[in-house]
Amino acid sequence: MGNFLDLILEPLKELFLRFKAFVPNLLAMLVILIVGIVIARVIRLLLVKFLTAIKFDSWSDRMGFTKLMRKGDMWAKPSVILGEIVFWMLIIVTLMTGLNALQITAIDQLVGQFFSYIPRLFSAAMIMVIGYLISGFISRTVLITAANSGFHYAKLLAKAVNTLLIVLILAMVMEQLQIAPSIVLAAFSIVFGGIVIALAISFGVGGINAAKRMIENEAVTKREDAAKDEIEHI
Amino acid sequence: MSDFYQTGIITTLHQLGKSSLERLESELLRFSKTKPVALVLPALYSEFEGPAMPGIIQELTKVKYLNEIVLALDQASEQELQRVRELMATIPTEVRIIHNNGKRITEVYETLARNGLDVGQPGKGRSAWLAYGYVLARGRSDVIALHDCDIVTYNRELLARLCYPVANPYLDFVFCKGYYSRVSNKMNGRVTRLLVTPLVRSIQQLVGQHKFLAFLDSFRYPLAGEFCMTTDLARVNRIPWDWGLEVGSLAEVHRNYSPRRVCQVDIAATYEHKHQALSPDDAGKGLKKMAVDICKSIFRTLASEGVVFSDGLFKSLLVTYLRQAEDTLLKYEADAMINGLDFDRHEEAKAVETFTNAIGLAAQIFMENPMSTPLIPNWNRVISAIPDIFEMLRIAVEEDNK
Repeated sequence: MGNFLDLILEPLKELFLRFKAFVPNLLAMLVILIVGIVIARVIRLLLVKFLTAIKFDSWSDRMGFTKLMRKGDMWAKPSVILGEIVFWMLIIVTLMTGLNALQITAIDQLVGQFFSYIPRLFSAAMIMVIGYLISGFISRTVLITAANSGFHYAKLLAKAVNTLLIVLILAMVMEQLQIAPSIVLAAFSIVFGGIVIALAISFGVGGINAAKRMIENEAVTKREDAAKDEIEHI
Repeated sequence: MSDFYQTGIITTLHQLGKSSLERLESELLRFSKTKPVALVLPALYSEFEGPAMPGIIQELTKVKYLNEIVLALDQASEQELQRVRELMATIPTEVRIIHNNGKRITEVYETLARNGLDVGQPGKGRSAWLAYGYVLARGRSDVIALHDCDIVTYNRELLARLCYPVANPYLDFVFCKGYYSRVSNKMNGRVTRLLVTPLVRSIQQLVGQHKFLAFLDSFRYPLAGEFCMTTDLARVNRIPWDWGLEVGSLAEVHRNYSPRRVCQVDIAATYEHKHQALSPDDAGKGLKKMAVDICKSIFRTLASEGVVFSDGLFKSLLVTYLRQAEDTLLKYEADAMINGLDFDRHEEAKAVETFTNAIGLAAQIFMENPMSTPLIPNWNRVISAIPDIFEMLRIAVEEDNK
């Protein structure tokens, strides 16, 4: 009978001991979560105030980031949205740190993978922001130059350049994030190569007559120059 | 039927002979192929609940030459916006509603404010200005017509006559102001009759001939809310956001274009809309507020053109105005008598008294701060500050209309 009771109580005792060992971890996780959420809120508040003070919203309006957000139907201030992004990133980091405190092997691996992915996320974000700024700058330069040169399709050309650059930047971002890198590379090569070939063919075929005229003019000029040399100058 | 006399330095297009709406509309339809016309309607939700807006909608359902209608809706909740959408859906022309109280348009206003562009308080001026911006952002129309949404006696001939001078490519007008008689059983339009015209003539008496005063005096109804203009003009014009809207807009037209390209057109035999109370004791509302804003706008415009205002000039102006207004009042009394109209001389005299106070108050405000009423910047200025503002505005309106 004693053995039978031991058979029942032993697992329960084991469970209790494990639970007793687990409780501090659980409490640590809860504390980390609560402190993390509070810190994230404070950081969000300070960040928004700081961004407002340095006129980040006006800068975003002029740089085109606000337009980008509006296209995605986001109508809060850019500083508020950036504050929200930082807040949720901190919440994710807090959650991961909290889960890590549980000291469960499977979760530990997941957390390790997450933290090793953060630098990639950061660099992808940097590529996107800087790339967007550069693409905007280049497309505006193209627009102004083409318009000043009297090119009729200046706006279209600037838009095309902008689109090509955005495609390039997105491919770089995807590559950085390691999202199906081989497919991204292949798709990018096909799209970009296709565009270049299409441009080459259209300019080549469309410019045959122009090129012919130029070569002929060149040849005529040379002949005229040669003929002139035969004349004896006084 | 009116006479054909041309007054002032702008062209006056009269209503002569029997009107032919069919001819006007068929020609406008032809013109609209090369010069598409947008109609801007600054409206309050309350106007949809009254008799005016349902009547206007009914008339607009028969108009075929309009390219787009932009309704700048103020003081409306989300449910009320939905109701307005349903009412406007009967119009065959493409209608876009700018929901001024919606979160997206509010954010557009905030974007302007944080970039140092003061677009003033909510009201007709600000709504109309944003609607012009939206028409410019879409780039689908070359002509913008605007009329109030409280016209009880609205018919589509008003719109056709208003659009015709600017939409007609053979006439080289860039701006056209509507005029009409404000007569029911009595003469209405007190601010024009008893303030603007006598004030303009009094200033002329004191400072001599001035191009802007001659321009303003050429309009038969300078405070009419109905006008039509080219989109180029909408791009360069700055407008006041207060009651000085009409006079301020005319000042900008005068500044940017030759009077040869400006006209006024007789758009209605009768015109009835909501009336403002005189409010003689409160300069913050009613006709007194309107009078103060209009006077400030005139003073500011003249000052910007080099007229020097001093205490002495303002003191003389008050007396000169009073004499002018009293003389004008007698003229209107005679006009009312011969036409069998009611004429309450005491009420008219009270209005003159109120307007005299308003001129004094406007003069005081002007002397304290001549820049007290900033104009809403023109769209070229706005684009230079926020290059993507048109795109943002377009997205906001498109999303609101989904």
